[in-house]
Amino acid sequence: MDIISSLAIVAFAALIHASFQLSVSMLTLLSGHAIGAKTGHMKLLRLTNGFLLGVALMTMLLLCLVLQHSFGNQVPYLVWAIACGLVLGLGIAVWSFYYRKEKGTSLWLPRGLARYLGERAKATKQSGEAFGLGLSSVIAELIFIFAPMAISSLVLIQLEPTMQLAGIALYTFVSLLSLLIVSGLIGSGHRLSRIQKWREDNKRFLQFASGSGLLILGFYVYVDQIVTATTLARGGF
Amino acid sequence: MNNPPDIIKRGGKRPSEVFKQEKLHGSIRAACLSVRSPEGEAETIAKNVCDAVIAWLETKPEVTSSDLRRKATSVLDSFHPEAAYLYKHHQLII
Repeated sequence: MDIISSLAIVAFAALIHASFQLSVSMLTLLSGHAIGAKTGHMKLLRLTNGFLLGVALMTMLLLCLVLQHSFGNQVPYLVWAIACGLVLGLGIAVWSFYYRKEKGTSLWLPRGLARYLGERAKATKQSGEAFGLGLSSVIAELIFIFAPMAISSLVLIQLEPTMQLAGIALYTFVSLLSLLIVSGLIGSGHRLSRIQKWREDNKRFLQFASGSGLLILGFYVYVDQIVTATTLARGGF
Repeated sequence: MNNPPDIIKRGGKRPSEVFKQEKLHGSIRAACLSVRSPEGEAETIAKNVCDAVIAWLETKPEVTSSDLRRKATSVLDSFHPEAAYLYKHHQLII
C-alpha cells in the first residue's frame, strides 16, 4: 500500500472516530455548567482547551499503544481479517444502538456511567480536572473507537517511522475536528442550546454516517489487504 | 410557602426531599445563563418561574421530580424557549 493510500485510510478512520459523540456531549455539558456558573470567558477557554488536550493525548497514547503491540512490518492475513470483522460488526452496532430511542442525544452508555460522567462534568472547575475528563471520555468510548484505531495502526505499521509519526498526528488532528468545531463555536459566543439542537436534529444522520463509514472502511480494507493480496499470490505475482 | 411538598426522586431509589425554592431558582438561573442571557434577565426569569411553580404546588402534598421539571420547563418556555430547551434536555445530553 502506498503512502497516500495509507494516509487516506488513516484520515477516513479518524473522520469516523470524529463522528462519535461522547466527547462532544461531555464538552457541551462541561461548557454548559461553566457558563451557567458565570465562569469568566478566559477560564471557560482554559477548561475547553484542557479538555481538548486530554482527548488529544489519550487518542495519541492509545494509537501508539496499538502500534507498539502490532506485528512488525508484515501484518498476518488473520489479523487483517479480525480487524475488518471488528470494524464491520461495530458498523452494524453503531446503526443499531449508538443513540438511545429517546429525545435528546442520549448515547448507548449505561445510565449509571452517563450520570457519573455528567456529575464529573458539573464538578469540573479547574483546567487540570478538564484535562482528566478529556482523558476519561476517550476511555469511555473505547469500545467504538478501538476499531478505527486498530485499522489505522495496522496501516501505519507498514510505513517508515517518520510517516508513522505523521500518520499519528493526522489521525489525532482529524479525530479532534468535531471537538475543535464545537469548542470554537462555544469560544466565539454561540449558544449551547443551538449547538445541542443541531446535534439532536442531525443525530440519526450522524449515526447512519458513522455506521456506514465503518462498513465501507472494513469492506475496503478487506478487499485491499486480503482479497487482492491472495488473488495476486495465487496468480503468481 | 407554608407547607412545602415532598419531591419524589426519579426512579424512586433515592429518598424524597422537601421542595427547596432556592434549588429550583438556581437551576433555572443556570439554564438561562448557559444560553448567554444577561444576569439580571436570568434572575427575573428564575423568580417568575419559581412563583408560577410554587402556585402550582400549593395544593399538592407531593410531586415527582419529573413532574416538577416538566412544569418548570413549560413555564420557562414562555419566558425563554432556548433556556427551556436546555433545561428540559439537560439529562439527555450524554
